[in-house]
Amino acid sequence: MELIDRYIYAVTQKIPTSQRKDIEKELRGLIEDMLEERTQGKQATEKEIEEVLLELGNPRELALQYRGTKRFLIGPELFDSYLLVLRIVLISVGAIIASVFVIKTMLNPISILDYFIECIVSAVTGLPSAFGWTTLGFAIAERASELKAKDLQIEKKWTPKDLPTIPQTGTIKRSEPIVGIIFYTVLLLFFLSSMNYFGIWTFRDGFSGAIPFINVNADNLFILFIIITLGFGILKESLKLIYGRWNLKIVLFTLILNTLSLLLVIYVINQPDFWNPNFMEQLVEHNLVQADSEAFTIIQNIWEQLTKWVPILFAVGLVWDVIDGLYRVRKANK
Amino acid sequence: MSEVNEHLEKLMQELRRGTLTIAVLSQLNEPQYGYSLVTMLDDIGVPVEPGTLYPLLRRLEKQGLLDSKWDTNESRPRKYYLLSETGNEVYQLLVKEWNEIAESLEKVINNKGAN
Repeated sequence: MELIDRYIYAVTQKIPTSQRKDIEKELRGLIEDMLEERTQGKQATEKEIEEVLLELGNPRELALQYRGTKRFLIGPELFDSYLLVLRIVLISVGAIIASVFVIKTMLNPISILDYFIECIVSAVTGLPSAFGWTTLGFAIAERASELKAKDLQIEKKWTPKDLPTIPQTGTIKRSEPIVGIIFYTVLLLFFLSSMNYFGIWTFRDGFSGAIPFINVNADNLFILFIIITLGFGILKESLKLIYGRWNLKIVLFTLILNTLSLLLVIYVINQPDFWNPNFMEQLVEHNLVQADSEAFTIIQNIWEQLTKWVPILFAVGLVWDVIDGLYRVRKANK
Repeated sequence: MSEVNEHLEKLMQELRRGTLTIAVLSQLNEPQYGYSLVTMLDDIGVPVEPGTLYPLLRRLEKQGLLDSKWDTNESRPRKYYLLSETGNEVYQLLVKEWNEIAESLEKVINNKGAN
């Protein structure tokens, strides 16, 4: 019976969502009719099921029949990954444009208006072209997969054993936490090995040093800050890897870890020697701002507010993390 | 030889695709569900695979030539198809066209054979 479910799943996956339910019901009826004809009312054996499925043929072809002529730019098979990649691409491009703006403004605050216009222009041109290229790439992949599917058929005859198992809803892809762990580890190594570079980079005939945000001389709790936030991140990803499926336990652990890290972050950041005490002076020294200019006052204001704002931003991120988890659990249990 | 078979197979596929629609429409004055239709067509000498017939029925329904209704009273739910009013009209015209084609082809083939 499980084989039948897998067969029906394999067919309906490749059919537009609006028709899935109906076709699924009809297909199940058909398979049962065909089985009944063979078994004359007796319980069907695995072998008989396989015979019936073989008679129905490759689910890909059956789905193709149901779909009629291909009228997709990007078919349902690829559409989900298309949306995922599109989201990542657009967010990355947006983030790059935004950070270029921020970095340029920090280096040269006087031209902020020019940089802002530049930022808008690159958003208007960059985002649509990112969208376009991604779509084009997937459209090509769609055509290519049609060809490939045909090629493969000549080599290998389809059998019911080839049917993939049905994934449970809410499963976490293994690649997701693995990528997360790698990302956190690289960041952790970077911060632990080169704290001095965490700051504003200055360039004079190439890179000429960085003005660190944090106090590198004092016996700093910054290390603790990094280990807490990134280490807990690794822990959370590992939990996802272990459970492999969204559940309330993961969300509960996330809540506990996030609360802990938030409290610790607030504690660490409020230590008197956490921030680089000479930050403003060093900015002036490197000719990034002029003392007593308007920009100097603005940056100094922002700099002094950081202790208040970092935990708030941090808290928003962590709350979001928990809400997102809850949402996924609800979706998984539907 | 295999090349000839290949061509033949391709052409027959095209030929069957068109004629199958007529055969299906001809059987749907009474409501039928997919698998009963497979058996009926098989009995009158038009063998068809369910994997071809089922999508075809849906397509004809979508085009408005067939009406359908789910019957949930039996042991398993079955979708019954029936010729719609439009479908019936189209079928009558189709039969007329088919007869004309058959007639002309008959002439063409026989003429060629005579030469």
